[in-house]
Amino acid sequence: MIGKASRVARWLAGAAMALALAAGPGMADAVLDRGIGSEWSSLDPQVNFDAAAGWILMDAYEGLVTYGPGGGVQPGQAESWDVSEDGKTYTFHLREGLKWSNGDPVTAQEFVDSVYRTLDPATVSEKGYYFYSVVKIKGAEAIANGEAKDASGLGVTAPDDRTVVIEMETPAPHLLNIMGAFQIPPLHGPSYAANGAAGFVDPAKVVTNGPYTITEVVPQSHVLLTKNPNYWDAANVKIEQVKYHVTEDVATEFKRFQAGEIDITYDVPVNQLEALKASMPDALKVTPSTETTFYSFNLTKPELQDINVRTALSLAINRELLQDKIVKGGAIPAYSFAGGFDPSYDGPMMPGFELSQPDREAKAKELMAAAGFGPDNPLKVSIVTTVAEDRIRLAQGVALMWKQVLGVQASVEPMERKAWLDAFYAGTWDVFADNLVGDFAGAETFLAYMRPSADAGYHWVKPEYDAQMDVAATMPDAASRNVELAKAEKILLDDVIFAPLAKEPLRRLVSPKVKGYVPSVTDYINSQFLTLEP
Amino acid sequence: MLRFVGRRLWSGGLTLVALVTLTFFVMRLAPGGPFSRNRKISPEVQANIQAAFHLDEPVWMQFGRFVWGVLRFDLGPSTRHRDYSVNDLIASGLPYSLTIGFWAVVVATLVGVALGIAGALRRNGVTDYVAGIVGVIGIAIPIFVIGPVMQVIFGLRLEWLPIGGWDGTWRSLVLPVIVLALPNIAYISRLTRTSMIETLRENYVRTAKAKGIGWRRVLWRHTLTGALLPVIAYLGPATAAIITGSILIETVFAVPGIGRHFVDAALNRDYPLVMGITLLYGGLLILFNIGTDVVRALLDPRIRNER
Repeated sequence: MIGKASRVARWLAGAAMALALAAGPGMADAVLDRGIGSEWSSLDPQVNFDAAAGWILMDAYEGLVTYGPGGGVQPGQAESWDVSEDGKTYTFHLREGLKWSNGDPVTAQEFVDSVYRTLDPATVSEKGYYFYSVVKIKGAEAIANGEAKDASGLGVTAPDDRTVVIEMETPAPHLLNIMGAFQIPPLHGPSYAANGAAGFVDPAKVVTNGPYTITEVVPQSHVLLTKNPNYWDAANVKIEQVKYHVTEDVATEFKRFQAGEIDITYDVPVNQLEALKASMPDALKVTPSTETTFYSFNLTKPELQDINVRTALSLAINRELLQDKIVKGGAIPAYSFAGGFDPSYDGPMMPGFELSQPDREAKAKELMAAAGFGPDNPLKVSIVTTVAEDRIRLAQGVALMWKQVLGVQASVEPMERKAWLDAFYAGTWDVFADNLVGDFAGAETFLAYMRPSADAGYHWVKPEYDAQMDVAATMPDAASRNVELAKAEKILLDDVIFAPLAKEPLRRLVSPKVKGYVPSVTDYINSQFLTLEP
Repeated sequence: MLRFVGRRLWSGGLTLVALVTLTFFVMRLAPGGPFSRNRKISPEVQANIQAAFHLDEPVWMQFGRFVWGVLRFDLGPSTRHRDYSVNDLIASGLPYSLTIGFWAVVVATLVGVALGIAGALRRNGVTDYVAGIVGVIGIAIPIFVIGPVMQVIFGLRLEWLPIGGWDGTWRSLVLPVIVLALPNIAYISRLTRTSMIETLRENYVRTAKAKGIGWRRVLWRHTLTGALLPVIAYLGPATAAIITGSILIETVFAVPGIGRHFVDAALNRDYPLVMGITLLYGGLLILFNIGTDVVRALLDPRIRNER
């Protein structure tokens, strides 16, 4: 007995020493270390636009609602809300006794101020579009355009200290999906008046209303958050500190994860994915995101104006083979555009989905021959893509399939991101390796971007589509709205202005000591719902 | 001597002006701008954002604005890092880059010179071969290979040092400094060795030996001062290159220096940040070159009198 006890004691002493020696960040401490990829673009809650920086803001601030484990909307600063009959007015009731991290009370007016500051041209924020485009709040666009100079015409009002009313021009059931802290945290007036935007990155001055406060900010290095004792649900916040590390190099991030310096990574090296499935099956989380990849066809190019050619190109792609054997990045093959994000949306599939892949290829050959292309007269196209490793492999895979099935001569032109964006509007492409990240997990966010009136870059003339989207926008409840949206998606897919390819994944490594991590398509992972086991 | 320094400063200044002007206009030629996105924001809002950063003005006016800013030591706001001005970002990143750069130069010089001398004194001995092998490795294997290998050995296997990040102690300095110093150790040791061997054959060294001066004194006083001239000539530009060239090191080891800002800024078309760092890097390179010339001129009168 004694021998065993002393062995345990020796082992403990040894372990303690090893820990003391190895006391790198994230080892045996109460800090959750999370990777965020590139540096956050801004910690100004009304300016930030990046999803990764959004995690920091979601931990530090809280909106009217928040997102629970799995990404579901749940009450945040508002404990409940009422929706008017026509679906255009939402009335939020704030919890009693809400406080900022400095002890000041949180008032309804501060939510109004936040929306106004986001829209105010003086803030130079790009994300006002949430309020005038994703949902149409009354008066929002006039403020953003500089036509209205104050908040008097704005459809966000505070009749009393605990009530926020949001009035919209058209009903939008997805309003709740964009009322989290990422889009609309309250704005603490006194500290903003005293410090301006510089106060948001100064730990000595910043005032937050979320589960955490900002303790340390080092550009290109990290942001350290510490639990906010004034948060209404502080009793249920288990992790004392959260450190968000800039992890620009994915290989280094992976090694830091292996060494225990990072508990939740931002990404996983794509070339390691297969090996990790075998070696770390519990830590590896590869789940769908709201990013969809599709190859758009240039409708100004005479050859591609023929719908048969576009259909043939789309059918010739073996999407399963492409992802499983060529790209191997964990993306999910897709045959539709806006479906697969909201389980209650039952959308259409692309023409030819009902066929088997060999039949699709046979049909593709037929269509291509009918359009006048053959071995003597091959179609030549360029694919413009970004330089990311998996995107280039995707383009090469598609080019190969087009060549093998249809004899199409496709060249792959990789471009650095900004040049790729520029090329789209310049129209210097035949096939554009396109992608779209939804603002929420619903069909509407994707379909709205494809309105010919919203994006002239596709040169798609289709008044019926705009009209059908307008019909959908009048539907107050989600179910009937989804029915109308599905009709719009059918119009879109039937015209084959692009070939849907895949839903992109979120690739992540989560240490086994982190509990409560539930992936979601919108990727809201609030640290307040996680626990850290020693 | 003063005239020599003045002349070098004048030509250095002209080089910097040319560099900065060229960078400014070449950067504008690259496709895309700081606010090109695949999000649809209203044209009025887009125009407002462009105007807030003066991107709606003609390019020559933007250039004038930049020059006027430089004269007031104000490099303007960063378009990507909205919470900071370019001055803030440089002030926050430069200390890390300088710290790593400084120690890398110190390590490279001490180790490189020591290896070089050892090699020259015991030519074809064990030390010479070891130094030669280290040299070949240091020059031949690129940073992005040797960095990750060191991380695996010292971070993952031995668990002696952190893989990356900056924990504020010497521990996070070790790997980046070694990796940054390695190629320079190689160059400096080769340079010292060759130059030592040549100098040891010089008549004045033989004379000194013949006069019966101890070998230590011959080595330190007579040989080394002469032999190190080429090393000093190398060190100036190398120091600047080490400080400015730690971009890869900073990425691989997640060090929050300014090297990473430079690449990011170029990719994101963050014009003010690109200009700020170009100005800084260009200035450092030119200053170190001038510094080297001055030191060499002090040591060698032939240089300072050249026309």
